[in-house]
Amino acid sequence: MELFLDKFEGFVGVNFWTMLFAWVNILILYLAMRKYLFGPIKNMIDSRQKEIDDLYADAEASRESAQAMEAEYQEKLAKAEEEGEEIRRTAQRRATLREEEILREAEESARRTLRRAEEQVELERARALNEVKDEVGALAVEIATAIIGRDVAGEEHSALIDAFIDNVGEDK
Amino acid sequence: MQLEINGAKIYFEIPIYGDIKIPVTQTMVSLLVVTILLLTLTFIASRNIKKRPGKLQVLVEKVVTMLYNLVESCMGKHNLKFAPYIGTLFCCSFFGSVIGMTAIFRSTTADLSVTGAWALITTGLVWYNNIKNNGFLGWLKGFTEPVVVMTPMNIVSEIANPVAMAFRHFGNVAGGSVLTALIYAALAALNNVVFGFLPEAIFAVMPPIFQVGIPAILSIYFDLFSGFVQAFVFCLLTMIYVGEASPPPATVPATSEAQSAEVAPEGVEEVALTEGEIVVDSTTKE
Repeated sequence: MELFLDKFEGFVGVNFWTMLFAWVNILILYLAMRKYLFGPIKNMIDSRQKEIDDLYADAEASRESAQAMEAEYQEKLAKAEEEGEEIRRTAQRRATLREEEILREAEESARRTLRRAEEQVELERARALNEVKDEVGALAVEIATAIIGRDVAGEEHSALIDAFIDNVGEDK
Repeated sequence: MQLEINGAKIYFEIPIYGDIKIPVTQTMVSLLVVTILLLTLTFIASRNIKKRPGKLQVLVEKVVTMLYNLVESCMGKHNLKFAPYIGTLFCCSFFGSVIGMTAIFRSTTADLSVTGAWALITTGLVWYNNIKNNGFLGWLKGFTEPVVVMTPMNIVSEIANPVAMAFRHFGNVAGGSVLTALIYAALAALNNVVFGFLPEAIFAVMPPIFQVGIPAILSIYFDLFSGFVQAFVFCLLTMIYVGEASPPPATVPATSEAQSAEVAPEGVEEVALTEGEIVVDSTTKE
């Protein structure tokens, strides 16, 4: 075997051994690059893309759900406001009714009290009148007794009368 | 002066049996160097792949994404499995051309054996996919399309495709290297003419001034640019030929559609045709 021949291949020519060598080289490179470069990089790109897509889909979903929730809450809020208004109106109506009722009752009771007072006054008056009548009768009897029993001077009479009246007053 | 244009230098020959000897050539050494270089780059690029990429990974991902997009636009989504091969082929071709710039190694693609080997891989892929998709008889029948008279033409074009691919790539790179060599020789001659009047002692130690700069510009064109374009063209042709051989699985191949149209009555034929058109439309939009 000679080392470093001074030989050249033809400029345009095909050498089977070189072709075989080229095939082997490109096969090795293909396998290595597919396994260690294109495969992992492509997987990484795809998985990142998928992650991003998922993220966006998630965001979109949560946005939609948030919107739905907002709409729901707004609806609820409107309903609640309406209900509150309804309650207020009912309460007002009821309060008005109650107020009127109370007023009416108060009036009634006042009137009743007044009437009772009047009746009592009337009764009292009647009784007082009766009493006065009785007393006057008694008085007249006493006066008559006094006049008949004793004959006294004018001054005596007046003093007697005074004392009598005093007694009457005391009796009373 | 004399300028020799040769093929790859044969360093030595390994005898294996009788007269059969394996020549170890410049091209083989270059192929080995390119392979080792690319394996190293692969190792470096894929060493630390993370979900939050570093600068290098961003670059690598950008390139890989471009490659996959290119393959998808040329061959369709169903053929993305070919992307790693296309990428490998491109790297081998480009680095094989560019390694000639080192002046230590010869461009691998300046050897017809290498480009021929790659072109034969393309043809092999085309035939394999064609037979896989259409069956052996379907593949043979494909040569008689669109009319039987065209059969010899089709066979010739089937053989001409890899030959043309191999020669195109080889011719561009080898031609570039020949031109560069010629320019170098011409510039040396110009140097002799312009500075020949100087005494022998000064002339011997003076650098060849004209050989500085000008070849660099030419090298950028012939090695970098041409190497890139030829690698791209080679990959593009591979993608187109292989993509033709493996059409999208959803669409019915043209031959079977024509057969069904012949058998079916007229009314059904129209429906089938419009359906076929719709399917074709949807695939082209993708």
